[in-house]
Amino acid sequence: MGYQTPYAPTRSELSSCIQCGLCLPHCPTFRLTGKETDSPRGRLTAMTAVLDGVTGIDEVFTETISFCLGCRACEPVCPSMVPYGRTLEGARAEIAAQKGGAARRLRGWIMETWLGSPAIMRVITWATAMVQHTGLARIAPRRVRSGLRGLRHIGWRTASLRGRSFEPERAPVATVGLLTGCIMGPWFAEVHQASIALLVRAGYRVVVPSGQTCCGALAAHDGAADGAARLAVRNAAAFRAVDYVVANAAGCSAHLKDYHHWAPGDTLGEGWQVRDITELAAEAVEDGRLPRLEEGRGVVALQHPCHLRNAQRIITQPRVILEAAGYQTTDIDPVCCGAAGFYSILRPDTSARLGRDKADEIGRTGATLVASANPGCEMQLRSHLAGEYRVLHPVELYMQALSDAPEGQA
Amino acid sequence: MAATLTGSNTKLRDDLIRLLGTERVMDSTLERHLYAKDAGVYIGNPTVVVMIETTEEVAQVVRAARHHGVPIVARGAGTGLSAGAVPEVGGVVLVTTRMNRIEEIDAENHTAWVGPGVINLDLSRATTPFGMHFAPDPSSQSACTVGGNIACNSGGPHCLSEGSTVNHILALEVVTDTGDVMIVGGGAPDPIGLDLRGILVGSEGTLGIVTRALVKLTPNPPDVRTMAVAFPDIEDAAATVSGIIAAGLIPAALEMMDQLMMQAIENWLHAGLPVEAGALLLAEVTGVTEAVEAEAEIITRIAHGNNALSVQVAVSPQEREILWKSRKSAFGAVAQAAPDYYLHDTVVPRTRLVEAMRQVYEIGQRYQITMMNVFHAGDGNLHPLMAFDASEPGRLDEVKAAADELVEICVEKGGVLSGEHGIGIEKRHLMPLLFTEMDLDAQARVKEAFDAGGVFNPGKVLPEGSRCFDFGRPVPEGAWV
Repeated sequence: MGYQTPYAPTRSELSSCIQCGLCLPHCPTFRLTGKETDSPRGRLTAMTAVLDGVTGIDEVFTETISFCLGCRACEPVCPSMVPYGRTLEGARAEIAAQKGGAARRLRGWIMETWLGSPAIMRVITWATAMVQHTGLARIAPRRVRSGLRGLRHIGWRTASLRGRSFEPERAPVATVGLLTGCIMGPWFAEVHQASIALLVRAGYRVVVPSGQTCCGALAAHDGAADGAARLAVRNAAAFRAVDYVVANAAGCSAHLKDYHHWAPGDTLGEGWQVRDITELAAEAVEDGRLPRLEEGRGVVALQHPCHLRNAQRIITQPRVILEAAGYQTTDIDPVCCGAAGFYSILRPDTSARLGRDKADEIGRTGATLVASANPGCEMQLRSHLAGEYRVLHPVELYMQALSDAPEGQA
Repeated sequence: MAATLTGSNTKLRDDLIRLLGTERVMDSTLERHLYAKDAGVYIGNPTVVVMIETTEEVAQVVRAARHHGVPIVARGAGTGLSAGAVPEVGGVVLVTTRMNRIEEIDAENHTAWVGPGVINLDLSRATTPFGMHFAPDPSSQSACTVGGNIACNSGGPHCLSEGSTVNHILALEVVTDTGDVMIVGGGAPDPIGLDLRGILVGSEGTLGIVTRALVKLTPNPPDVRTMAVAFPDIEDAAATVSGIIAAGLIPAALEMMDQLMMQAIENWLHAGLPVEAGALLLAEVTGVTEAVEAEAEIITRIAHGNNALSVQVAVSPQEREILWKSRKSAFGAVAQAAPDYYLHDTVVPRTRLVEAMRQVYEIGQRYQITMMNVFHAGDGNLHPLMAFDASEPGRLDEVKAAADELVEICVEKGGVLSGEHGIGIEKRHLMPLLFTEMDLDAQARVKEAFDAGGVFNPGKVLPEGSRCFDFGRPVPEGAWV
């Protein structure tokens, strides 16, 4: 009974929920089932029930907590400012610790060692490219096929950025350390290239520390807490010398901002500052360090990744970048698209249902170009959008527009 | 109360599963725990929880519950504060959140048929394209259901000009205690015969279960001005409210909040509230442009005559929205002061607002409870928010004692027990403050006429012994666990 790990939801975190219920209609799982057990308020009450010994970590509790997407749409609407995302990670750590079967332990091990290892990611990337290039995808099971459809075109080999640094033309505004991440490096190489080019153009010195590893978000969300903590400690050391750590995947930047929960204070250092690329880019546009380009590039449907909007409250920045690139934006309703990290693999039915809803909504906007600042969302959107759609990171769209712009303007 | 399932309840559960399937019948310890309370402070003990989707299913569940001798407590989103949806004596909690279809919008006649599980704000959003909205707008409107609004006859800031839910319900489809379905009311504004619709609205689930409602939709006003006026203290703000009404204006809404409340909201929302001021008055006027401009002008003049520190007029819909969001999220923000809260709801005559407020603060001081205030000043509907820590032994009892005192002072001044939250468990013991034995007996006989077996939400609203011949419990013994 009760909680056993240092990651557990605490009394003070849980008691900040006063059960007003204002979160309910914003929760995608509550909207699906209408059940209290599938609402943020219900989940917090369940966590308190375990703390109080009303119930143990049983099947019902595990299902309640596992069904959550972790989209954190409940957080911005909570007048009591309950740190829901943190308590969710804590509850999942407890489930893993108390009920962790072999499958869960294997998952935790994969999430720490595979995602944290560039060598293993290279092998996986090579295998995925193989499937993509050879047409093996055609004979894959339906769900795998749908997942593969979400991928960008993957090259056989991507040049590693680690250990490199990039200098701006003038004295740098600041030194930023780019997180290359687990899959971003090999699968989203273009986003890294655009990010580095944009940051350098905006006056930043960009370094890519070689000691870095996966941010640990996926492990933390799945309850593999010890692994997540070890990854955090490694990154804390790797990024010690930079002014800001910058990530171009919303899930990563959100998790890096939460590192004070994961890395002990002395490893993190006082100057731990994290920014999502969209924040730095929008600031640079507003400061005049990046030019506003001519309008008329058409309409882009702007998807708001949950971990950008809900976890970091970054709402206007992607629009600023896209408008500076010359696009007109149309917002998509900020309900989770269902990607939610490994959720799409663990609970494919719910994930697919939300993915289809999102695709329908994008269809209604009439736009065929979609901007998303998170790789998980991007893949989910692409795999559910049927037809001629392009899904890209806002930073890529800006850099493309910049390279298309006539000399004088750029 | 013991949380054990007796043999007959296991049979009840099996019957319910046969009717609804396992996914829609919940009775594990944790599931029952999550349905034990609403947004208030009272805790019940459900025997089993069912998710219903159709009127026929409600009828079947009613018949099954009667057969097994257990009561039924209907529940929407569980945002109520008076424990109307708390299963105090156990029984079936019947959840309506899946009956959330807006079946038909009649734009010409300004009506809509809706399921009880439709979220209040969703209804207004769905009718926006027709230039209409559902007028009752409780602070929980983004989450609460129309069914709950009907049960509690909910109000909201705009009931000052629009009236509470009862004024916006034309007809109801109701499942009776025999499991039959009846429709009360109709499209006509003045119902023929005895007005059962009026009796059912506000009956807190004690007379039947509403399965569909024909609601009246209100045209959106052509223009609106929302003003935030800061005052050095509550007295000046209250004097302004009296002045506005005395000048012959009935604004769409007149809301007030004190400094502590503003600070808590500002911490969360960053709405730019004047946190240095002692009180904030939110005034909204609606109508044609010329009228709202003239009325805003009059309100500004009256406010300045009462020492207003600043008058801010929302110029964009976004500014208006954030002002209302700050008002409507107030009760949630209270958690920043303490882990638990008790949001009260009483009414005093508008003319006695200032003295009532002084006594509210005095009670807070005496019990050492942080009192934050946010209220519908226009109709004298007070909402003192008491922030406390329920884990301190005896603290909840002190808070409840303070709450009773609040009601007593309001009733003494010619006010009433409740403005819009309902009576539920919370205030039923205070009913005799306002009603004579004869009054209570009349109400108890209505309950008996609809629900002689006491299957619907037993023990709510009316205190024990309301029926004159009752000297013991108002419900048959042994009818449920």
